[in-house]
Amino acid sequence: MQVHKYDVVIVGAGGAGMRAAIESGQRARTAVLTKLYPTRSHTGAAQGGMCAALANVEEDNWEWHTFDTVKGGDYLVDQDAAEVMAKEAIDAVLDLEKMGLPFNRTPEGRIDQRRFGGHTRDHGKAPVRRACYAADRTGHMILQTLYQNCVKHNVEFYNEYYVLDLLVVEEDAVREDGTPYKQKRVAGVVSYDLASGEIHIFQAKAIIFATGGAGKVFKTTSNAHTLTGDGMGIAFRRGIPLEDMEFFQFHPTGLAGLGILLSEAARGEGAILRNSEGERFMERYAPTIKDLAPRDIVARSMANEVREGRGAGPNKDYVLLDLTHLEPAHIDAKLPDITEFARTYLGVEPYTEPVPVYPTAHYAMGGIPTNIKGEVLQDNDTVIPGLYAAGEVACVSVHGSNRLGTNSLLDINVFGKRSGINAAEYAKTADFVELPEDPSAETIAMLDVVRTGTGTERVAAIRSDLQETMDANMQVFRTAESITTALGDITKLRERYRNISIQDKGKRFNLDLLEAVELGFLLDLAEAMTVAALHRKESRGGHYREDFPDRDDANWMKHTMLYKDPTAETEGIKGIRFGTKRVVFTRYEPMERKY
Amino acid sequence: MTASTAEPASKVELPASVGGGGEIPTFDVTLRVRRYNPEVSDESHWDEFKLTMYGTDRVLDALHKVKWELDGSLSFRRSCAHGVCGSDAMRINGRNRLACKTLLKDLDTSKPITVEPIKGLPVEKDLIVDMEPFFQSYREIMPFLVTTGHAPTKERLQSPEDRERFDDTTKCILCAACTSSCPVFWTDGQYFGPAAIVNAHRFIFDSRDDAGDMRLEILNDKEGVWRCRTIFNCSEACPRGIQVTKAISEVKQAVLARQF
Amino acid sequence: MSTTPDIRFPRSTSETGRVSPKYTRHGSGAKGGFEMAAWLFMRLSGIVLVVLIFGHLFVNLMVGHGVHAIDFGFVAGKWANPFWQWWDLAMLWLAMLHGANGVRTIINDYADRDSLRFWLLVVLYAAATAIIILGTLVIFTFDPCPVINGVHTGADFCPKP
Repeated sequence: MQVHKYDVVIVGAGGAGMRAAIESGQRARTAVLTKLYPTRSHTGAAQGGMCAALANVEEDNWEWHTFDTVKGGDYLVDQDAAEVMAKEAIDAVLDLEKMGLPFNRTPEGRIDQRRFGGHTRDHGKAPVRRACYAADRTGHMILQTLYQNCVKHNVEFYNEYYVLDLLVVEEDAVREDGTPYKQKRVAGVVSYDLASGEIHIFQAKAIIFATGGAGKVFKTTSNAHTLTGDGMGIAFRRGIPLEDMEFFQFHPTGLAGLGILLSEAARGEGAILRNSEGERFMERYAPTIKDLAPRDIVARSMANEVREGRGAGPNKDYVLLDLTHLEPAHIDAKLPDITEFARTYLGVEPYTEPVPVYPTAHYAMGGIPTNIKGEVLQDNDTVIPGLYAAGEVACVSVHGSNRLGTNSLLDINVFGKRSGINAAEYAKTADFVELPEDPSAETIAMLDVVRTGTGTERVAAIRSDLQETMDANMQVFRTAESITTALGDITKLRERYRNISIQDKGKRFNLDLLEAVELGFLLDLAEAMTVAALHRKESRGGHYREDFPDRDDANWMKHTMLYKDPTAETEGIKGIRFGTKRVVFTRYEPMERKY
Repeated sequence: MTASTAEPASKVELPASVGGGGEIPTFDVTLRVRRYNPEVSDESHWDEFKLTMYGTDRVLDALHKVKWELDGSLSFRRSCAHGVCGSDAMRINGRNRLACKTLLKDLDTSKPITVEPIKGLPVEKDLIVDMEPFFQSYREIMPFLVTTGHAPTKERLQSPEDRERFDDTTKCILCAACTSSCPVFWTDGQYFGPAAIVNAHRFIFDSRDDAGDMRLEILNDKEGVWRCRTIFNCSEACPRGIQVTKAISEVKQAVLARQF
Repeated sequence: MSTTPDIRFPRSTSETGRVSPKYTRHGSGAKGGFEMAAWLFMRLSGIVLVVLIFGHLFVNLMVGHGVHAIDFGFVAGKWANPFWQWWDLAMLWLAMLHGANGVRTIINDYADRDSLRFWLLVVLYAAATAIIILGTLVIFTFDPCPVINGVHTGADFCPKP
């Protein structure tokens, strides 16, 4: 076991982690820990663009962007955070350009912009060209540019170090009103070097979690195999709440059967959705902006078409994305990669044939609650000093119940930067928190249990059963019955998880062990999502309850907070306690969400 | 948006064949994987697995099937599984490919499909190689924008033509398929390799960058661009379709143009 | 953790986790000038050699009686003219340097052990140097009618004493 000391430790080297590292690395001694290599992170899979009201091609301003974000999130967005994001979006894009990101350009040489779902002019009047892009690999360019700048600034990376635990200590403290409470403080993280199988402890004054999402709880997902919600899982196990876990975004256009993403940029550039009858069905669901409606609406419309028997294909289980009316040269210039996906994986030629698509699990709106400085909250308003979170793992909440396309690339840049600066500034004034005695004991015990387990269950079988039940019961349409079924399945799967064994008993690159640990996080998070979904008896954004099909602002205009608490019991599940958190309103009153 | 996008028809007749249609056939394949685990033995060996796979399955799916159902100790890197993260470059039937972009049905399934780690980098376990030397070369060519003078308050201007000049080399995902397909690199690990040169190219030909000269100086090395023998292995290996050899030639020309 | 013995830090490389010497460049870049010159030389000498060799073949094989005219006297006649002396000298030097440099790159590319590479290069350089020196001597000291120890040993067209 080795102990390293840094001012700031960043967990995760995707967009948010590296954006934070660029800021923090110039101000304080910083280490970045990642279970992959930095350029492997899933930010690189983002395609369409990053919205900012630059107004390079048509009139636009950040206030409209704020409104779109709030409305897109079905008013569950904290409006102060959305304002910060929309306002700082402009600088975020310009920062990236100055770091070298090769954006597509207008004839005048400015950053070009294009349309994207849910982004409108003047509070919903018409689609607006707001997304700055680099062909259909904007995320790839962002990831590369951020890594390049980390190289430039000599950021220290620990590649293939898998963080397994957050070292939290609790101190007695007293609130301003005199009530005593336990103040959490963070001392460091415990990591596992995949290459050698050794435990490394990183003691740090400030820690930033930027570990990304948990899409692998679903079977059909655009997410990478490595997106197993480790950061959320670790925080949850350590008593940090999770916010709004019931809201999971399903991206409308995943390649049918595979889940590989076809960017919304395709529709931004003019592609449309058709059902088996050749009908452009979005005209019925969103008469004004049609195919460019927010993702939850489009995904639900697609699922509804399939459910009502208008799906295409031999099993009538998908709809079609039609690009055939676009010029091939235009497609090649603006959407080269995604057309290649269609050719490579489905053998479909997008110039001449429509592409089979179906909604795919894409993005967790919820996560570790933070304030607009990126500081993690241990309850509704108590900050954990020195602990920050940014990106998909965090819930600021700028996405509310449904994230608008491109706003995740914005989120990682705006809040990555904020966390990086704030963590470094905090580390300058703070002292190290003393490590608990034998800090790696729990981690080593957990690993030993998995490594030496002699059960009969296979990790892959449990994971695939989990993904099946989540796809079947927790997708775009949910009912109390389906959610309860999923919960029952998860409980059984947790039992089976106690009885696993792995075949690889070695230390070097034991990815068998890694997958087993990841499954533990997936089970925890799947349970959190389903419990939260059962609890919220309304339909809003990405969470659609057929038994409660309407939005219910009177009872449910609030964030869900889930706490791990051995003594509590909610919805029949032991060990989870519910709380709620107020939604922050500044200038927009909730109104009906129509497009 | 261009003028090409007149509002499309609300309803069209679709041909019956739409979506590829039909049942997806299954077939049997044999996977021969080169195994190496220094914790067990210093020697590497071949393992064969017989699998039943589906029409749209990729080599990565076959490897997963082995790992998840037959032999959990098989180790390989992978993440995004659709060719954008660059984790799973490996030698498939003797050619460098991404396992997640190689469909089984495109290979000759009547013979065993061989899968080996990429060549030229130290093998750590099974299909996992040490990527540090590769990234070391990448870092040495200064892969970041360097500018002099004051930054403008808004963005730097760049014409679409200037932007197009280096578009091809911005696609690189650092998977190492090119560098590890280069016979020069196999025997001379000190050669910068195609990937590093491609990433230098991306900045040398960026009109906003001011450090092109320094990069050309770095690559005008005994182990730099002159090591390239123009055999096109790298271009053939690139999963992103980058014209790697062309990029290297352009860098050579830039070095010469700077000298004379 | 306790069941398996400790293994060496596996980052290829060494205890420090840096890249192993096998992959580390120690070059100052100074030799890069030579490599560039060599690369350029190969292309330029190639073009010149095409002219020289085809000129040589044309004169020797096509002009006059063509190939049937070649004999000792024909060569002697050509080398009596400084133009052909310099032509052949250029051909000799360029071809030898071009060829030797080509073999040098092949050795560099394919000899994987340092000692093997060293000795192959020694042999190559020695052979190339010897041939260039001998060839140059022959071209410039060639006398079709030498007198050795007072004895005329030249060809039959040589002037008799």
